[in-house]
Amino acid sequence: MSSQKTERLINLTLALLATKRYLTKSEIFTTVTGYSGSPETMERMFERDKDELRNMGVEIEVKGLDPLFEDDQGYLIRAETFQLNGNEFASDELLYLTMAANLWHDSALSNDSKAALLKIQSLSGPIEFNAFNSPIVRDNENSQMLLTAFEAIEKLKQLSFTYNGNDRIVEPLGMFMRSGFWYLVAKDNQVIKSFKLVRIESKISELPGSFKKPEGFDLNDYLKRYNEEEVINAEILVRKDQAYSLRSKHQVKEYDSEWDSMVVPYSYEPEIVENLLWHGQNIIVIKPQSLRSAVISRLEEFING
Amino acid sequence: MVDNAAIRALRTMDLIPYILENPGESISSLARKFAISEDQIEKDLQLIFMCGLPGYTPYELIDIVFEDGFVSVIDPQVLDKPRRFNKTELIVIALGLQILMDLNKSDPSKILKLNSLSDKITKLGSSNLVSFKASETNSVFLEQITGAIAKKKHLIIRYNSLIKDKKTSRKIDPQSIYFLNGNLYLSAFDLDVMADRVFKVDLIEYCEVVDSNVHDHAPSQTQFFDVVLDVRKSHRNFIERNSSVISAMQEFKDRIEVHIQISNLEWLKRSILSNAPGISIKSPIPLANELIESAASVLALYRA
Repeated sequence: MSSQKTERLINLTLALLATKRYLTKSEIFTTVTGYSGSPETMERMFERDKDELRNMGVEIEVKGLDPLFEDDQGYLIRAETFQLNGNEFASDELLYLTMAANLWHDSALSNDSKAALLKIQSLSGPIEFNAFNSPIVRDNENSQMLLTAFEAIEKLKQLSFTYNGNDRIVEPLGMFMRSGFWYLVAKDNQVIKSFKLVRIESKISELPGSFKKPEGFDLNDYLKRYNEEEVINAEILVRKDQAYSLRSKHQVKEYDSEWDSMVVPYSYEPEIVENLLWHGQNIIVIKPQSLRSAVISRLEEFING
Repeated sequence: MVDNAAIRALRTMDLIPYILENPGESISSLARKFAISEDQIEKDLQLIFMCGLPGYTPYELIDIVFEDGFVSVIDPQVLDKPRRFNKTELIVIALGLQILMDLNKSDPSKILKLNSLSDKITKLGSSNLVSFKASETNSVFLEQITGAIAKKKHLIIRYNSLIKDKKTSRKIDPQSIYFLNGNLYLSAFDLDVMADRVFKVDLIEYCEVVDSNVHDHAPSQTQFFDVVLDVRKSHRNFIERNSSVISAMQEFKDRIEVHIQISNLEWLKRSILSNAPGISIKSPIPLANELIESAASVLALYRA
């Protein structure tokens, strides 16, 4: 039964894809193999087939064929909505597409990466490309969560989840990846915020109904504002012949026989404290006083438990 | 609700343009690539053999040939091109192109091509609601490294080790490169110490491909240490970034007890000091005491 239905769905797709004009239901029932039974049965079969193909992303176009008879409708699938154009990409572009899709083959997006690669190879044939040479992304996310979030953004559906111990219902507006982690940008109680996906404590669920996207929202503008931070210069001493990773990024001046001095710009204090403490006894913070105090108080708290 | 028949119908239709462009592919290879069993691939191909255009004469059916476990398409009818990318596949490609642009930012001609390709992908319906921001990755040696992996050559590198705080020259057999937590890493076999090592690509200061061919390496014997950490919830970033070394976790009100298994104690000591006071060692006690002494030595510099 399932094979018969699959065969009918394939034949229906091929017929609608091959036709140059809209096909009426009666033409479909008489020419496409697999439709049988009473007119009502065939009608029900066709409606179900059409819905299932549409749910899988196949765009079936409908057009009224006679202005006097609303029921007389025709159907077709435009090739440009179903298939890629064989001449769409040059050979070097196909190589870049392969590299771009392959980057994700070991990540939460691996299924989509593999599906995209198969489509690229269906355009190009085998590509001179060794998957093991090219970088790949390894992330920590759950693919189902990512896909639900992508879909909700596209369909403007609200999402519900638990974050920081609180249940949230948010309007998802976009996603971004920063330092290997995915973030969801969403409106929560009238405020646009970022939620780190790995910190979502529950299943992420799409809610029925849709919302209206805030007028003028642009993810790139949001990210620019998100990144606009004041830059402060830290003055530090670096022990001679030590802390090479800092020396490779910032200029040093001789301070005395044991130490060099260095200026390190920063915008987020917890991050620079972490970077400087990594070097242990090879770094002393001179200025600003707030940074020096932060280092001292962290060490005191660590020692005193 | 989508029926399995619709999923199977589209997958079966996807097989035709793939085989058309990759003729003579074996059933087992197709099964691997389409992530289904060989038996299912055969059933799908037998099914599509019966499908075609209205009329359904031999001239209107899809025509494929099987020979000794290999398949070729003679007549694909209208299935001569693959289906369009779906939304998530377009996101995967668009994000991948953003990463490639970041890796090739020093090459204007590549950036130009990648930008134009990115525009084409946007026109195909890629969402502008997803973005990737890489770290400032210095990837000047990327081509040399990927070339050496492809040609199975050794590399001599000068590496600025963050953990040892030393510059060292090493001869390595490069294995793979990957992004993790926004950084680009090279996984390699270090021929000087005869053990697997991971290098952060932007800390490689010099890189030279050498002609000696790669030989098989004896599996390295690495000693692992079990350590129990007390991590404040405010520092769970540490847990998220290092999930691969965590063997067990138990959550309490404002802290998490984390059991880890590691080979590199120097990395752990520096990580804990840099996260002070957010992470402390519960066991082994001598290691906890050693870290407190290290912190006291740093503090003494400020009190001198």
